[in-house]
Amino acid sequence: MSVLNRREFLKASAALMAGATFGGASALLSQSNLQNIGKPNILIFVFDAMSARHLSLYGYERETTPNLKKFAERAFVYHNHYSGGNFTTTGTASMLTGLNPWTHRALNYRGMVDRQLTGRNLFQLMGKEYTRLAFTQNLWADILLSQFESDIDIHLPCDSYSHFIHSYIQPDDLPSDRRMAYYVFQDFANLRVDDPRAFPGSLLIASGDLVRALGPNRKHISTEYPRGLPTNYDYAYENATVLDGIDKLIKNSLAESEPYLAYFHLWSPHEPYNARKDFTGIFMEDLPLPAKPRHPFSGGNHPEKALREYRREYDELIADLDAEFGRFLLDLEQSRVLQNSYVIVTSDHGEMFERGEVGHATALMYAPVTHIPLLIAAPGQVSRSDFHSVTSNVDLLPTILEIAGKEIPEWIEGSILPGFGGNEDSARSIFPMMGKDNAAFQPIRHATFALIKGEYELLYYTGYPGHDDQFELYHLEQDPQELQNLFSKDITTASSMKEELLEAIDTANRNFQLR
Amino acid sequence: MRARLPEFQSIVQVYAVIAVMFAGWTIIAFLWKLSGWLLLLNLGEIFIVFAYAMVTNFIESLTILTMLLAGCVVLPASSLRDDFVVRGTILSIGLIGSLMVFVGSQMQFGVERGFLLLIAPLLVLLGMAWVLQRASQFQGVRSLVIGFSDRVVIFLLILAPVFLVTSAYVIFRNVS
Repeated sequence: MSVLNRREFLKASAALMAGATFGGASALLSQSNLQNIGKPNILIFVFDAMSARHLSLYGYERETTPNLKKFAERAFVYHNHYSGGNFTTTGTASMLTGLNPWTHRALNYRGMVDRQLTGRNLFQLMGKEYTRLAFTQNLWADILLSQFESDIDIHLPCDSYSHFIHSYIQPDDLPSDRRMAYYVFQDFANLRVDDPRAFPGSLLIASGDLVRALGPNRKHISTEYPRGLPTNYDYAYENATVLDGIDKLIKNSLAESEPYLAYFHLWSPHEPYNARKDFTGIFMEDLPLPAKPRHPFSGGNHPEKALREYRREYDELIADLDAEFGRFLLDLEQSRVLQNSYVIVTSDHGEMFERGEVGHATALMYAPVTHIPLLIAAPGQVSRSDFHSVTSNVDLLPTILEIAGKEIPEWIEGSILPGFGGNEDSARSIFPMMGKDNAAFQPIRHATFALIKGEYELLYYTGYPGHDDQFELYHLEQDPQELQNLFSKDITTASSMKEELLEAIDTANRNFQLR
Repeated sequence: MRARLPEFQSIVQVYAVIAVMFAGWTIIAFLWKLSGWLLLLNLGEIFIVFAYAMVTNFIESLTILTMLLAGCVVLPASSLRDDFVVRGTILSIGLIGSLMVFVGSQMQFGVERGFLLLIAPLLVLLGMAWVLQRASQFQGVRSLVIGFSDRVVIFLLILAPVFLVTSAYVIFRNVS
């Protein structure tokens, strides 16, 4: 079991030494240091692929999140919060840059933010006044963090706190070239155990990885995990170990480096949905959900029974994660860490189990895959505030800057969230999109766009070979299951939203070509 | 020590076989993935991946060559050194070929059928051992192997500079 690896140990030691140095010299704190006292710490927890539609916190029938519900009792709770995209790269990039996907251009699987825009990120804007730490278990999110490497003080390797590493060589083995190391190793040289169609570029490395994969540990079976240990396909891990590691980090290393901004992006509840045995089988009762016909743009063709089974396993993993996170939060609270810390809980995108599709990163942009949780607890907050207007994860960056008392640059496309100075705007339009097959260097012609405004959601599929462009319109409040396509029924709403969306896409493409 | 090593020309011929086999696999994999990368990486970034791939090939090929040369030093001269071009080439093709079959089987069947993945490479290795044993008896096999290793040397005129330039570039990226 790896608790601290080499790089992490070195960085943590450096931080501790620096802390000790400054601690000894506290009597000589400069004026600027004195001004820093009182600046809140900011802890961001991103749970990968956590759909708001599956959280009892937001009214889901299964009791998946009793601990988050408890946490929400003293937090700002956003009920209609949406990701900029429906998979990690796009959603995370929107959150970290405050830009819509058509601007930041991290559109593709394992894509990057436009190289000209890498200076526009959360860590850069927080400035050196804050100690900026970032850790993700998601390698695609780590590519983005590697792009922002020069603005991050402590960037932990993805395999921190993990149990078993599938490949011998990892991006962190090239610390000076970490951004490209992902493409060299994970994307090219290494064997992909989870994807046999991937063509490993290095025979020797792939053979070594394959021997390792065939070894006795390959299935990661544990009596605690009937479906196997949670894994991101590169590392196997346990949420308890990961959260314990983060807990120690916050209480030890970071405590010496206040104020800090810490970004923790955990893999769970992303598939595979491997919950602990205590949570396996806890949701055996069937939910009264309507069967939805397979969508022509669906990449999968799972039968209804399989969809329900996947949904049950996903819900079990959320419940497992919620229990661990509840324990973790309680510990932080008892350690008084939360007294001067904002805690933000959110996700990068959702997950769906309908219309033949399981997972995310699909051409479908229905609410389960874009609707994500957002809770923000301020230091000392004792009551709950609920916000029902539509918000986007591009709003998180300006809100954090507002919390930290930083200037908000004009180029940010998000707005300050209500509760932190922003208004509840019922006419707000947000534009999640999925353009994974569109070249990042070209105008966007092949994608699925969503326009969410008030209670309505317009979906627009364009550029799919063999299909005409297609629109769908849903009333999310009256029809939360998105079954009644109103596009040809509510002509007034449909045409005004269609016009707005097409105009926004045209403007985005024009601006892109002008750059 | 030097006396236990084969002639330089023989080493070059065998090295050419090794390098071409590794580079061939890598270049096919690279082309396989290129269309995906064109969506998200610019040409400079694609070149960086290529540079790392070539350096990996360089290290891989030197590893196999070193193993063969170590065999020359350790084993009786008659078993490898004296007929290095023929035996070294057959060993290289057999070893690298078995790795190709090993990894290729995973690409075909996944890792679930672990035992089956080992059968095909073992068969390749057995075939190599058989050819190795018979090579001295069949002039045709000898001629084929020598002809092959002699002809692929020309690829070293391309691969050797590529290996050196990309190695320098990768070192520069990681040192600067």
